[in-house]
Amino acid sequence: MADLFTSALSGMNAAQLGVATTQHNIANASTPGFTRQQILVSSRAGQQTGAGFVGQGVDVTGVIRIYDQFLNTQVLQEQNQASYLTAYHSAIAQVDLLIADPDAGAAPAMQSFFDAMNAVATSPTSTTARAALLSSAQIAIDRFQAIDQSLTDMADGLTGQITGSVNTVNSYAQQIAVLNGSIKRAIASGQGQQPNDLIDQRDQAISQLNQEVKTTVLRQADGTASVFIGNGQALVLDEQAMRLQVIQSANDPSKVDIAYLNNGRTVVLQQSSLQGGKMGAYLTFRDQTLEPARNALGRVALGMAVSINQQNQLGQEPPPTGALGGNLFNEAAPRVDQNANNNPASGKPSVTIANLAGLTTSDYRLTFNGAGYTLLRLSDNTTTNYANLPQTVDGMTITAPAPVTAGDSFLIRPTANGARDIALVTNDPNKIAAAAPIRTATVANTGTGTISSGTVNAPPPPHANLQDTVTITFDTPTTYTVAGAVPPVVGAQAYVSGQSISYNGWTVQITGTRAVNDEFTIESNIGGTDGRNALLLAGLQTQTLMANGTASLQGVYGQLVGEVAVKTSELAVTSLAQDNMVAQTIAAQQAVSGVNLDEEAANLIRYQNAYQAAAKAMQIAQTMFDAILAINP
Amino acid sequence: MMRISSNTIFDSNVAALNQQQTRLLQTQQQIASGRRLLTASDDPVAATRALEISQADATNTQYASNRDSARNTLSLAESTLQAVTSLILDARDATIAAGNGSLNSSGRKAIATDMTARLQELTGLANSTDGLGNYLFSGFQSRTKPFVDTTAGMGFFGDDGQNLVQVAASRQMASSDSGADVFMRIKNGNGTFATQAAAPNTGTGVISSGSVANPAALVAGNSYTVSFSVAAGVTSYTVTGAPTALAPAMAGIPYVSGQAISFDGMQIDIKGAPANGDSFTVAPSANESVFKTISDLIDALNAPVVGANLTNSLGHGLHQLDNALNNVLTTRATLGLRLNELDALQIAGENMGLQFKQTLSKLQDTDYNKAISDLTQQNMSLQAAQKSFVKATDLSLFNYI
Repeated sequence: MADLFTSALSGMNAAQLGVATTQHNIANASTPGFTRQQILVSSRAGQQTGAGFVGQGVDVTGVIRIYDQFLNTQVLQEQNQASYLTAYHSAIAQVDLLIADPDAGAAPAMQSFFDAMNAVATSPTSTTARAALLSSAQIAIDRFQAIDQSLTDMADGLTGQITGSVNTVNSYAQQIAVLNGSIKRAIASGQGQQPNDLIDQRDQAISQLNQEVKTTVLRQADGTASVFIGNGQALVLDEQAMRLQVIQSANDPSKVDIAYLNNGRTVVLQQSSLQGGKMGAYLTFRDQTLEPARNALGRVALGMAVSINQQNQLGQEPPPTGALGGNLFNEAAPRVDQNANNNPASGKPSVTIANLAGLTTSDYRLTFNGAGYTLLRLSDNTTTNYANLPQTVDGMTITAPAPVTAGDSFLIRPTANGARDIALVTNDPNKIAAAAPIRTATVANTGTGTISSGTVNAPPPPHANLQDTVTITFDTPTTYTVAGAVPPVVGAQAYVSGQSISYNGWTVQITGTRAVNDEFTIESNIGGTDGRNALLLAGLQTQTLMANGTASLQGVYGQLVGEVAVKTSELAVTSLAQDNMVAQTIAAQQAVSGVNLDEEAANLIRYQNAYQAAAKAMQIAQTMFDAILAINP
Repeated sequence: MMRISSNTIFDSNVAALNQQQTRLLQTQQQIASGRRLLTASDDPVAATRALEISQADATNTQYASNRDSARNTLSLAESTLQAVTSLILDARDATIAAGNGSLNSSGRKAIATDMTARLQELTGLANSTDGLGNYLFSGFQSRTKPFVDTTAGMGFFGDDGQNLVQVAASRQMASSDSGADVFMRIKNGNGTFATQAAAPNTGTGVISSGSVANPAALVAGNSYTVSFSVAAGVTSYTVTGAPTALAPAMAGIPYVSGQAISFDGMQIDIKGAPANGDSFTVAPSANESVFKTISDLIDALNAPVVGANLTNSLGHGLHQLDNALNNVLTTRATLGLRLNELDALQIAGENMGLQFKQTLSKLQDTDYNKAISDLTQQNMSLQAAQKSFVKATDLSLFNYI
């Protein structure tokens, strides 16, 4: 008879546990990382009687998490990729907005500068046009510097974000280590029963960690989880968490690297090993978008400064000075950084801009191995070996550092400061060398030959005797003698109509019929107020000066805008797709592990009914017992 | 059978609502700003293309303003040269009037006074400025007064420079002409050689300006003298060449008034009765400024008439005024051509600008029909999503227990 009570009691107990677990599920329906739980029940073995095996009730053998390891790993992977793409996209979208703005980008400012230059070419004597040119030059400079400053601010902000990400990683690693301990002890004391909610918390911490950096998780037999990052560096082992640290980069003092602390040793983690997650996004954005963008912007600014300066040097300032032109812009010097591990006594290589066309937007690493130099172009990892320096490569001339020690390495950034350091070196409108320094004349000729107005040969500086008077006299219609050229020209020169004649750093052409004794003179244009050089300055706008002669100044700026826009658009599309992917994998994972409230409601009713039924059974047992007691013998 | 977690219902609905709202906002911004491309990444290809085209458009606009500036300068030069033309025509009329034999010396002096005023007016015109203080005819030295009277006659202090203006992408146009070409370098005579009566002539011989009969026979740079001798009522002449002597020599040829005299490919004639010892020179054409021509005419009108000197001077001057007129008209013709070309370039530039603006508009402007239709559609689907969200989440078994 007592068995009836035991059996009913076990049913009530099981139903009570079922209600408790259901309530736990309902309570945690929206707890992040929670997986629904179920009670495991099994019927008690029956008692052998003469009538056969009679059941003795039910046992609750455990409370389990409904969980699919495969789906969970998939969610981790997709979330890692999604947080990488989202972080990268939101970072690059700022650059996209900054440089492509039709009003605030550099393109309209450069356009106004060249428009103003055209106005000077048309009215070279107008002080207003010259002042307007200087003011539009200043606006272009301000624009370059403002964009550069914004990019630098973004880089500084990134350092903060990287530090924040490293701190987050450390904090989650610590949490995981602590939870590992709790779980291990709970399993030990619970005789193998799983501490479901602790495991959920740890999985949630791993999921959060995984959104910062890509991790690999290994589950150990004792219930702990080992977490690895990068190329297998252990972040969490058992109850121990290692630390990541932000340190100043040895290559580039303006940047930070992420290092791994292990038994007091600091190991710098390669960027390539930290892919995925926000941390990977920050590092990729910094190294593959932000720095190339700054370099590209610097290249445009440097191109404008150098080309305008060079052409201005070939011109002549207006009276009263009538001097040969000088520089209008400050040209940014290439930036060279010594590796922090170099021999402190070593010098730095000196790097100068040799030609605009060759300049790239890449940075370079120069290393010395004791016998020769190796130059690594970082954008495409091309290496070139040199037995000795100086060498001119990619538009820059590198002169050897002195002294230099084997193993020294240097980071060369040819255009990084181009936009930051561009500036006007003069506020004097008369420093715009709008006129050409030479002019040509024919006065008393009897032939119909005409001479072109002459051009000054590039590159600057112009020939020392440029403005000396040179006379070309035709002693026959097809030969001429030259007086005044440096070095002197001896003897008659054969002449073909229209052919270039070049002495003292200028070039002229003579066409038409020349008579004997016709004289052409090339002389100083002192006092001249023409706009020939301004016309050439304005013409720089459409010349393909950059990128090996394939693009104009505005063209390379357009390339920058295009590259960033394409990358941004690609990231917008892929991050949206990835978000959908995450949603789908989470839906699949939640389909297994998530709480469905209708189901829980049904379970509540089920367990309630079971409880009521078991209680009724108890009541019946009681009634039966009472019936026996009521028998009055 | 697929189990659906209650959270998934909320999460996926919230995500869908977010995406729809983002799209709605994007369309709304496109309508509000009128720009289809809110950032370059909305359509990188179109955005880069738009950047290139707006640069081309801005450059095109700049060329239009360059053309305006060139048109101003050229029109100014043209109207100045128009005044110069009528001035030369006036001087020409005065010269013809002065040749009237019935005029006495005071009549000629009156004409001379009138011509002096014309000369001053001409100098003023040649020194015209563009209103900003730049001389029109001083070449590159736009701040230097080009024509100044010196002891050696009118001097030119400008240079041969022609200022160029970028009037189209591949066209630089000269916006100025050298004063030396317009006023100074006027070939005298017939352009190949110039004839002149020697100053001390006393006879009435009048030399024509001559013509080239055989260009192949011309001896470059050679000068000739035709000298007359009258012996026993017979007038004969001798032609000598220098530095190259005439071959065959022409000496002692009997003179017949108006008969052609030909040597070294040239042909001249002399009319009237030259006196003994009179001579005429034939020299290669040299440059003579229009100022010198007029001032020579003034000198001739003020001088006493001896023999045919006035006729010879007036003849020479008249011829030279014609040369100057031709020269100015040639320059005006090139000015007219340049102004015509500017008009043609202006039309081409405007068409191009229109083309640029249309392309730019296609690339980056909002298509309102499409945008508003999109907005309506997105609005509708957002409303549907919101309603269905409420309905779906309202379903719960808990409502019934």
